[in-house]
Amino acid sequence: MNHNSRKVAAEVKNLTKEYGARGFLTQVLKGIELTVYRHDFIAIMGPSGSGKTTLLNLLSTIDKPTQGTVILDGQDITRMSNKELSALRRDKIGFIFQDYNLLDTMTLEDNIALPLSLNGVPGKDCVQQVQEKAAMFGLKEHLKKYPYQLSGGQKQRGAACRALITGPEIIFADEPTGALDSKSGRELLECLRAVNENGQATILMVTHDPFCASYAKDVYLLADGRITCRISRGADRKEFYDRIIDVQATLGGDFS
Amino acid sequence: MSMAKLAFRNFKSSLRHYLILILSLAFSVMILFHFQTLLYSSGFDVLGTRNKEYIELLIQMTSFVLGCFMFFFIWYSTNVFLTRRKREIGIYVFMGLSNEQIGQMYLIEAILIGAAAWALGLGFGTLGTGLFQMILRKLSDLAVEIQFTPGLRPVLTTTLVYGMIYLVFMAKGYIDIVRSSVLSMISAAKQNEYVQQKQGWLATKAVLGTALLVTGYYLACKEGRDSVMGNALLAVILVTGGVYLLFGGMIPAGFQALAGNKRFLYRGQRILWVNSFIFRLRRNYRTYAIVCILMLCSVTTLATGFALKGRYETIVQFENTYTFQLLSSRDDLEGPARELIEEHSEILFDARLSLLYLDQSVLEADAYYSRFGILAYSQVKQLAQRTGLEFPFQELAEDEVIKASHQYLLSMITAREDVDIRIHGTTYHQIQDTSIPYLGYLQESSGYYIVNDQAYERLRSLGEEVYVYNYRIQDTENFAKIRDRLDQLVENTPENKTARIAMDPNSNELDWVKMLYTICIFLFQVFVLAGGSIMFMKLSHDTWEERERSQVILKLGFDPGLLKRAAAAELGTAYGLTFLVMAISSVFSVRALGNMMFTDLTAVNLVSAGVVFGILLIWYLLSVQAYGQGYRKNEKR
Repeated sequence: MNHNSRKVAAEVKNLTKEYGARGFLTQVLKGIELTVYRHDFIAIMGPSGSGKTTLLNLLSTIDKPTQGTVILDGQDITRMSNKELSALRRDKIGFIFQDYNLLDTMTLEDNIALPLSLNGVPGKDCVQQVQEKAAMFGLKEHLKKYPYQLSGGQKQRGAACRALITGPEIIFADEPTGALDSKSGRELLECLRAVNENGQATILMVTHDPFCASYAKDVYLLADGRITCRISRGADRKEFYDRIIDVQATLGGDFS
Repeated sequence: MSMAKLAFRNFKSSLRHYLILILSLAFSVMILFHFQTLLYSSGFDVLGTRNKEYIELLIQMTSFVLGCFMFFFIWYSTNVFLTRRKREIGIYVFMGLSNEQIGQMYLIEAILIGAAAWALGLGFGTLGTGLFQMILRKLSDLAVEIQFTPGLRPVLTTTLVYGMIYLVFMAKGYIDIVRSSVLSMISAAKQNEYVQQKQGWLATKAVLGTALLVTGYYLACKEGRDSVMGNALLAVILVTGGVYLLFGGMIPAGFQALAGNKRFLYRGQRILWVNSFIFRLRRNYRTYAIVCILMLCSVTTLATGFALKGRYETIVQFENTYTFQLLSSRDDLEGPARELIEEHSEILFDARLSLLYLDQSVLEADAYYSRFGILAYSQVKQLAQRTGLEFPFQELAEDEVIKASHQYLLSMITAREDVDIRIHGTTYHQIQDTSIPYLGYLQESSGYYIVNDQAYERLRSLGEEVYVYNYRIQDTENFAKIRDRLDQLVENTPENKTARIAMDPNSNELDWVKMLYTICIFLFQVFVLAGGSIMFMKLSHDTWEERERSQVILKLGFDPGLLKRAAAAELGTAYGLTFLVMAISSVFSVRALGNMMFTDLTAVNLVSAGVVFGILLIWYLLSVQAYGQGYRKNEKR
């Protein structure tokens, strides 16, 4: 598909991040350039210390860059106040964390409805939207359960539902299958792919797992603070997975 | 590094976290110190030996209540501390420390905390005695003037009692740690899993709780004669149980039902605080119930204090209706007595009436008095006109009587009307029980019945008729002189018997009531501060646990103000419900008290509940503030 005809969801220009005191600076990201279009499903892979989590934190407004710009929904987030960033996180961004981050004080239904309710959406609409999203993620019969009554996979699918419920511009997923067994991980990824393919979500995912990355449309490989390679999926996911493994082997490094 | 050094370093670095525990323990030390200072102060000297037995009884009762309070309070606060520390120092298990070594570390830390609390408590206690005295003075000029002179004995007694209780719980904590499994130790503070309570079980508890409360309230207010004491005790047990079941059954059931209604729940931050409240209620309901009962005790105690003050004033007025009374078989003393009195003072009013004394064997009624007096309706009416006392009674039928009683400070007989009495085989219906002091002090010592004039004539042959001469003088400074002069009329011969009653307007006979009042105010302070600090401690501990949840909300992009508003709503619900249940229960407890004291205490109830409301409001604001600080600390992590 021609990228020029699609709307940009996020744009990163010359993104640099340094840590440490003067004289002992470590440059984690070195001038990253990246454009995420609407309905993209991008996986960022890289060896440990390559800067993939830092990149996700910068894109998702949790951290601030040393240099460069991040444009989300047409606004440069590096120039926004904390309050504006909070509002942006709330309205335009969805998060899926490795450790689910569901609130143990409420049912799955309430967890999913939480962002809507806090945004002042009327109760009736909340219920309806929760039902729709839960059906998509195969969670309808688990809605009345509390997090401790759910499996890891169900919890993570619940977290994905919560991330999607407000219809964000983009979803950031940080190692979403990291705490799941392979079956649960596959179920979650199938769900994410489905919502992406039917045009309901733009996803940017950080992972070290080639299998997980093979569900994305594009995989960016990060090494030493730079994007070194981009691999795009064809029709077959298995073939895509093999290609990712090959590139990984060529580049070397510890991808755990 | 030695164990002591490690423990000391832990203590120093976590001092901020222990502050609430230290302050609450210091508070219990302060309370005990205040009581000991009160005990050894000069306040009791002014009362003399006359009321010694009352005072000793009061001290014993108060000591018992305070002892129980301290025991449970220290138990509670050390328990909260133990749970938290177990997880924190439990991590040393992975460094190869044995349970005994971790237990020793806990002991050293506990000693440091206990000692800090002891020093602070005595410090606050010494500084606070002045404040305590000021509050007492402010509340009433009636309170006994107490000279607080801090001495060694209060310090020693306080140290001994506090030290012993604290040692017991320190040892308990040590044993608990030594016996803990590694797993239980590191997961001690992480038992947050919510187990949804079954609606059926909650409903059963709700029904049972309501039944207990309603029965308790009914028994508290039920009027009776012999059964009042038993009813009151049973009511205390039932209401306590009822309050527990209310917080453990009806309130969670109600909130779970509300959370089930999504249209209600999904409204802004309501989703957060309602769920959070339900989650916490499962573990906190006992705390809310304890606080509610403590606050109920505080309101009832304050109401008792206020009511005692009122009763004290009424009783003093009652007894001083007449300055002098002569009780004689002679009917010609009016002139001579008047002459003797007028030598030294003007007479404000005087009145005479005849009185028929009956032996108890003639009368079948309560056996409290050995003798009973019968008064004629028209004579009492005449006396009331002369003395200016009110007389709100219609002419009596032949079989009707009005009982003239004394002023009770507290009576266990609350049913005082519609009683039948039998005099010499004839049944009379007691239509009213009045405490208008027609016979002044004389009315304190015997039971009197006002009967229809014809009935009086009929009963005359059954008893001994005497004449009562009553005088109220103007110049009370000449009281002693007049009393001595009137003694000339006193005689005890077979023909004539005359007795004299003199009421010294400056008597301190009732001063023990003042002491009771002082102790009531003191206990009120204890209960209200204890209740508030338990609630504060528990909710602050919850805030500490809340940090992970608040991080999730912040990550989702919601601003800290929203978290604070949700916390304020949740804390408000916890404090508000506790106050509400307490306020409703207090209506019944204070009414029961009013029945026993024959006073309407509604105003007192409102004022006491208002005071508790104000104090709870302060605790609430402090809790919200503490939440804000806790949250800011979390945010910086």
